[in-house]
Amino acid sequence: MHRDGNGIAAGSGQQAAAAGTAGRRRVPLLSALGRAARAVAWLWLFAVGVAAWWVLSAHSTSLYFPPLEKILRQLYALWIAGSARGQLAASLEQFAAGYAIAGLGGIGIGALLWSVRGVREATSPYIYFLYVLPAPALVPAVMTIFGIGFTMKVVIIAFAAIWPTLLNTLDGMRGVDEIKLDTSRVLGLSGFRAVRSVVLPAAAPQIVAGLRNSLQVAIILMVVSEWIASTGGIGYFIVNAQQAFNYLNMWTGIIMLALIGIVANLLFVLAENWLLHWHYAARAKEAR
Amino acid sequence: MRLPAGTAAGAPVRVPPGRGRALGRLAARLAVLAAALGLWQALSESGLIRADEFPSMTATVAALGHQLAGAALWAAVGDTMAAWVVGLLLGGGCAIAVGTLIGLNGFALRSVTPVVEFFKTIPVIAVLPIALVLWGTTLTMQYVLVAFAVFWPLVIQVFYGVRSMDPTVRDTATVLQVRGGRRFFVVVLPSAAPFIATGLRVSAAVALIIAIIAELIGGGSGVGVRILTAENSGPTAYPVMYAYILVAGLLGVGLAGAFALAERRFLHWHESQREAARHAP
Amino acid sequence: MISRDVGAPGGAGRAAHAGSGVPVVSLRHVRKSYPAGGRAGAAERLALADVTFDVARGEFACVVGPSGAGKTTLLRCLAGLMPPTSGEALFEGNVLRRVPDRVGVVFQDYSRSLYPWLTVNRNIALPLKVRGVDKATRAKRIAEVLASVGLAGVGRQYPWQLSGGMQQRVAIARSLAYRPDLLLMDEPFASVDAQTRFELEDLILRVRDEFNVTVVFVTHDIDEAIYLADRIVVLSASPGVVAEIVDVALPRPRDQITTKSDERFARYRQKLLGLVMAR
Repeated sequence: MHRDGNGIAAGSGQQAAAAGTAGRRRVPLLSALGRAARAVAWLWLFAVGVAAWWVLSAHSTSLYFPPLEKILRQLYALWIAGSARGQLAASLEQFAAGYAIAGLGGIGIGALLWSVRGVREATSPYIYFLYVLPAPALVPAVMTIFGIGFTMKVVIIAFAAIWPTLLNTLDGMRGVDEIKLDTSRVLGLSGFRAVRSVVLPAAAPQIVAGLRNSLQVAIILMVVSEWIASTGGIGYFIVNAQQAFNYLNMWTGIIMLALIGIVANLLFVLAENWLLHWHYAARAKEAR
Repeated sequence: MRLPAGTAAGAPVRVPPGRGRALGRLAARLAVLAAALGLWQALSESGLIRADEFPSMTATVAALGHQLAGAALWAAVGDTMAAWVVGLLLGGGCAIAVGTLIGLNGFALRSVTPVVEFFKTIPVIAVLPIALVLWGTTLTMQYVLVAFAVFWPLVIQVFYGVRSMDPTVRDTATVLQVRGGRRFFVVVLPSAAPFIATGLRVSAAVALIIAIIAELIGGGSGVGVRILTAENSGPTAYPVMYAYILVAGLLGVGLAGAFALAERRFLHWHESQREAARHAP
Repeated sequence: MISRDVGAPGGAGRAAHAGSGVPVVSLRHVRKSYPAGGRAGAAERLALADVTFDVARGEFACVVGPSGAGKTTLLRCLAGLMPPTSGEALFEGNVLRRVPDRVGVVFQDYSRSLYPWLTVNRNIALPLKVRGVDKATRAKRIAEVLASVGLAGVGRQYPWQLSGGMQQRVAIARSLAYRPDLLLMDEPFASVDAQTRFELEDLILRVRDEFNVTVVFVTHDIDEAIYLADRIVVLSASPGVVAEIVDVALPRPRDQITTKSDERFARYRQKLLGLVMAR
């Protein structure tokens, strides 16, 4: 079999293009099914777990651990069909706003710090300090300045979640391959254009890793700020239910929160795979 | 969960050649600090920052000094650290035990890893109310919560570590007839050590955050509680509140630094550490 | 077409070719040293000690030398990526302060130079966009240049989906898309297999004629240098100085079989090996 590069005639390019698609067509149905099966195979353990919970709690009379079936019904009644929907929406709004600010701000400031070395070196210990400072410790302080409403929650979520993205953006940009930077200079890219077209895409995998950590932080702060500020939202709902001994409602809130985490991560992974498809595909090819 | 940026726990800046540069940098950093503190004080005195919302710089520094001299701060630090240590040991021990047991069996590993990854996406704090229900606002609750939070990221790392053991290392051990407990401690654990180290670093940071959350919600007597108490006591206590916030930050720095040092010491033989050592200041 | 140029130290004097105009590249006593990194006061590393030569318009010049002779450093100085520590590097008569518009560079490691988040088409379009070429003209140019390197139809794929030889062709295409006056190539065929290398050598000769571009080609492969070059600049071992400049008077067009079996080819090889391996 000829390796590519044979035949300088124009045909070779088409040959290569055909070879690329032909490879995809040749994948047998069985193999595709196999991959799908493997993707859901791990669910078996999870499904077993849920089923066990359902069965074991079915006749429970405990106040603290009501039957799973009852919990799920109540979950539907409250969160999907009913009154708690507003609480959920409020929480999600705050989360979305805070995370957006953290993400965009983290990338923006990270890119800025990368560009100006003097500022970066002078401020890095303080940035690091703020990064390792446990953000929940700041909630009471933020409350004294911004009260207990929407603004406060957005501020604390943004302030806490910005650091992983910022530091990863900075690190990612600093780690960009020198040859890519040289090439960009040769191609005529400079300044802002080079950052936008070369440095940021090259750093994208690490930036996305930072954004993922920021996601986790944002969720935590969303809930914790509501717990302490006690005005509304899913966090408040859970803690309120627990203090009112309404454990059924508390459980619905917990499961709802778990679902939020799962869905948020799932959406993130989908977005990541779309954005970084080139990165994962290139890596996979290299590994072969 | 807050995870480290993927760099070593030191600041993400490499040391450039030349002592002159290093001195210049130090000067720049001190200048930034001085400027920030000065600006803070100026804003407070001019009234642009309201005293009932935000204390002045001098008041905060004074409060910090006062607290550092007194016993209350150190007791609080001790309490937070206690929850942190117990939770870390508990969760860490379980993670290493469970992780190696499962990790050594291929099928178990493959089945369990995706489930654990899945559970990692659930915010650990969702479990806090359950812990409150089961143990109330007690120390036990804090320990269990921290342990639970530590467990998940660490167990995944143990999986990776056990799974990644160099086949040559494993075969050598078999040929040398190293078996059982000795094999575990002398071969498996050191091979997995870099992964475990990364996992511990992450878990340590997570543990501190959860410990403070547990205090804020569940009471107790650590740094988090002091912050909340000060906030509830009104504007006169705000300097104390910020002093404790600074302490929380310093705790974070101290722990991260301690872990970096420990990693360097115990894993100095591993390539990644040798590489890092070459670039160390 | 083959221009000779004013002589360099170490080589016999040569008559200037009337009407050859300003040399595309002109190096005068270029010296480049690096601080060795680490603590202050560490010794500097001298990569190039004294390099002087010119490259005339349309010429194909190869640079050879043993490892560590500073060939890559030289290329980076020529590209304007790195200023010399002392001495002059001129491009079309002007001192190089930054990378000139009319220079193309092909690096050895194509997998790191081609941008993996862009398709082949978009990689090639990038320098055109920067130079303000409009969309329709861009599409035309991209198609033309891909056809010239024998890769028509590959445009929508990503570079990493292609094999090594094809990726390097894409890199060459990208450099040629904006019609540079000078093409610098840093051991571009070192990372591909031998068979592909011969094809790429012929490709670059054809492309040089088609685009009428001056080429400076760094290589450690002496056969390749003799096959391709009008003149060969031999760098001595570190620190680099120009040991000799060898005119290659083999007839053009060159052919892998007949040129390489020409007895003059063997004589050149003998001479150059002697120069390169001498201490």
